[in-house]
Amino acid sequence: MSGIIEAKGLCKVYLRGREEIQALRNVDFSVEAGEFISIIGPSGSGKTALLNMFGCLDTPSSGSLRLNGIEIAGLKERDLVKLRRENIGFVFQQFYLMPTLTARENIELPLLFSKKSGSKKRIDEVLQMVGLADRGDHLPGQLSGGEMQRVAIGRAIINDPKIILADEPTGNLDSVTSEMIFGLFSELNKRGLTLVVVTHNLDLARRAEKMYSLRDGRIVSCEERACAEVV
Amino acid sequence: MNFFTLAAKNLQRRRGRTMLTVIGVAIAISVLFSLLALNSGYEKELSKEVNSLGVHILAVPKGCPYEAASLIMHGGVIPKYLSDSDYQNVSTIAGVELASPMLLHQFMKKDEKTGVSTPHIIYGINMEETRKLKPWWTVEGRFFSDNEKGVMLVGRGLADKENLSVGQVLPVGPKKENFTIVGILDRTGDQDDQFHFFPLKEAQRVFNKQGMITTIAVKVRDVSRIAAVSQEMEKIPDIQVVTMTQIMGTIMNLAGSARSLLLTVIAIALIISAFGIINTLLMSVNERTREFGMMKAIGASGLDIARMVLAETVFITLLGGILGTVAAVVGSSIIESFVKGMLPYSPGGSLISYSPQLVGFALAFSVLLGLVCGIYPAVKSSRLSPMEAIRGGFE
Repeated sequence: MSGIIEAKGLCKVYLRGREEIQALRNVDFSVEAGEFISIIGPSGSGKTALLNMFGCLDTPSSGSLRLNGIEIAGLKERDLVKLRRENIGFVFQQFYLMPTLTARENIELPLLFSKKSGSKKRIDEVLQMVGLADRGDHLPGQLSGGEMQRVAIGRAIINDPKIILADEPTGNLDSVTSEMIFGLFSELNKRGLTLVVVTHNLDLARRAEKMYSLRDGRIVSCEERACAEVV
Repeated sequence: MNFFTLAAKNLQRRRGRTMLTVIGVAIAISVLFSLLALNSGYEKELSKEVNSLGVHILAVPKGCPYEAASLIMHGGVIPKYLSDSDYQNVSTIAGVELASPMLLHQFMKKDEKTGVSTPHIIYGINMEETRKLKPWWTVEGRFFSDNEKGVMLVGRGLADKENLSVGQVLPVGPKKENFTIVGILDRTGDQDDQFHFFPLKEAQRVFNKQGMITTIAVKVRDVSRIAAVSQEMEKIPDIQVVTMTQIMGTIMNLAGSARSLLLTVIAIALIISAFGIINTLLMSVNERTREFGMMKAIGASGLDIARMVLAETVFITLLGGILGTVAAVVGSSIIESFVKGMLPYSPGGSLISYSPQLVGFALAFSVLLGLVCGIYPAVKSSRLSPMEAIRGGFE
């Protein structure tokens, strides 16, 4: 079975002034549909570059990256947007919620861009799923950090993506709330979503099915866990 | 939720800045709207005033013809006179349908309460001919006949101002002769509302101007023959001819320079306002780089971002346009009195004329202003690389 994300010989070179930065060096990587993957590594190890490419926010300098069977190298911006809209949901460390929109409206936002009609029922469903059924009309400023991240997760799943990419989703949260967020990710994974989570929290990272470790743009290890442990 | 409601909510985040920009646009649109309203009102009133004379040509004594003509239109007195014989000569020219002699006299009247003296205008006219020139005249009471003595007609504006009524007797002239008001002219909306009208012969007698007339108003049978009739009239010594078209043209030219000045003010106001809007939007775009990056990550295209920024701009300018238009309508009397002071010649009626088309134009212009000002910030934000934009969001 081919993976939902397939990277072969993936390289990414950035230019900082005249200096070339090798963010990724010949990375081979595969994620099967429905898997829960975590990626750890020190700062500058290439986690950002990898996640950006999985999310079609950037394209490889060389090598191949197939997302849901589509090669992204050489795709035009318009096609990348379409691919992103249909397949990816993003969760950020800083939540990036619109402060003047309620939790419900923040969750609805991707529907505006994908031109899908946002039925109230679907938004209610998502609010229920992320445990915010009674907080939909609150502005982000009235929510706790954990609640804001749950709104962000709701926003990531509203378009029914196949993959959730999360960057340090618990980086701004305390340990109890972090547990709850990972619990929510596990729930989503059980529903069939593929999850790729970048984190510095080793305890949480170990709860994924596979834990990849990156250093200097290369994958240095991959630990596999039993499914039962994840759940 | 749509792009417009999203834009409106985004603007709420920076209320102070948004309101200042809206006020900037409102001032520019208000000035633009006022000038356009003034332009259309000025031409309309001028044309109404010229037409209210009911004549095609004015014969005035030789001298400064345009100045004399515009003075006469406002009831001003010129120190030169034509004679009855000039009138007879003009009447016999082929193509003249009607020639009506007029004598203008001005006197100052002191208000007993305030002690302020104001000029009052007396028109000596032949009623029969004048009514042919101004068939729209109607009267409370009655018109006088040309041979009556001691009678007068007053304009409605004057009657209201001085509390005059039909049957009232007023002392007139150096000998304070009694003149009875036999009629009050129904409101015409032009300068006639402010005048006293006397039978021509009575006016000449009372003010010791026997045989003298200030002007001869001429109506031609065929308007295409105005030039030919004018040429014939100019052959009469003492007479200088001014056609109404020339008067309108001269006044419009004079007003043109004042309008150019106002247009320059508007252009500057609009440019300043436009830079203000662009500045506000660029600041907002720069502050929201990460947010745009997030939006791209959750599925927005560059076009979506551009559309949102443009919607925000149009929202600002449209709101400014509505406020500016309302302000211009509410403050029209202030604007009018300011502009009247700047114009070399002002017709009597209201100079500001609004129409639904004008309101539509002002609002459409504000939307256009928004689109033009929004293009650069919109393009800039749409071209942001999502990865660059949210880089801070990753490690």
